[in-house]
Amino acid sequence: MPVAEGMPVIAIYVCAVIAVYAALRVILQRNTMRKLPFLNVMSFAVTGIIALLLPHPITIAAAAAYFVGSTLESNAIASTWAGGIKKDE
Amino acid sequence: MLDEPTRILIAAAICWLNFMTVDLIFKLPESGGVSGATAIAQEVEKGGGALNGGYMMGNIVSSPDASAGTLLASCGVFCAGFFGGLFAAVLVYVGNRICYDPGYAGTTGCITATFIVYGAMQVGFAASDFIAGMVIAILTIQGISYVHASRLVARLWSVRCRWLRGCR
Repeated sequence: MPVAEGMPVIAIYVCAVIAVYAALRVILQRNTMRKLPFLNVMSFAVTGIIALLLPHPITIAAAAAYFVGSTLESNAIASTWAGGIKKDE
Repeated sequence: MLDEPTRILIAAAICWLNFMTVDLIFKLPESGGVSGATAIAQEVEKGGGALNGGYMMGNIVSSPDASAGTLLASCGVFCAGFFGGLFAAVLVYVGNRICYDPGYAGTTGCITATFIVYGAMQVGFAASDFIAGMVIAILTIQGISYVHASRLVARLWSVRCRWLRGCR
């Protein structure tokens, strides 16, 4: 992999290894609700990789958009499995 | 000057303390913010974990909390310096409202983390250490064992309730 001068290589590898580990745990976990915390770890790691690979001011918006989007998806999946709005009332 | 792996581990400990303190003060382990968070907590309890720890895990999954705030603050400081971290706090605030979360844990955690990361940069740390450190910190809570993590959070929650009043 071509690595630019001064790039935090170890930080990128730490995030990448954790992202792959979390993805494997998501696949291996059978229970849908218990998958979601692992998916959350994967989102954290991928958000970190986005910021580390693209150090530019606009990257903050991209990383936040990715993270909030994935959180909203987890929220929607969990709430749907819990029975949606009916259960809240 | 420390080498990069040591700095990442120290940053992970600092990030862990930051997001855990802010989340406990903002009562994340007290109850589920949305029905999905409550469902995750019940599933964690069914699997042998503690209910209060499960609520916190569910709330972290369902909305950007102080841990997400710490990560995005580190990203902000890494990409655009001190004001990048404060801009990330605005984005976390918007993200909280998108996720139907009325709380301020994420925004507060983001602002405190911006000051911590910027302060640590003055003594030889890099903002990238805090990005990797926060990923390690969230791994310990969400990614290794939900049984042990939820019990640990529940124990910290009972300590917080003893020291600061206002728990149910």
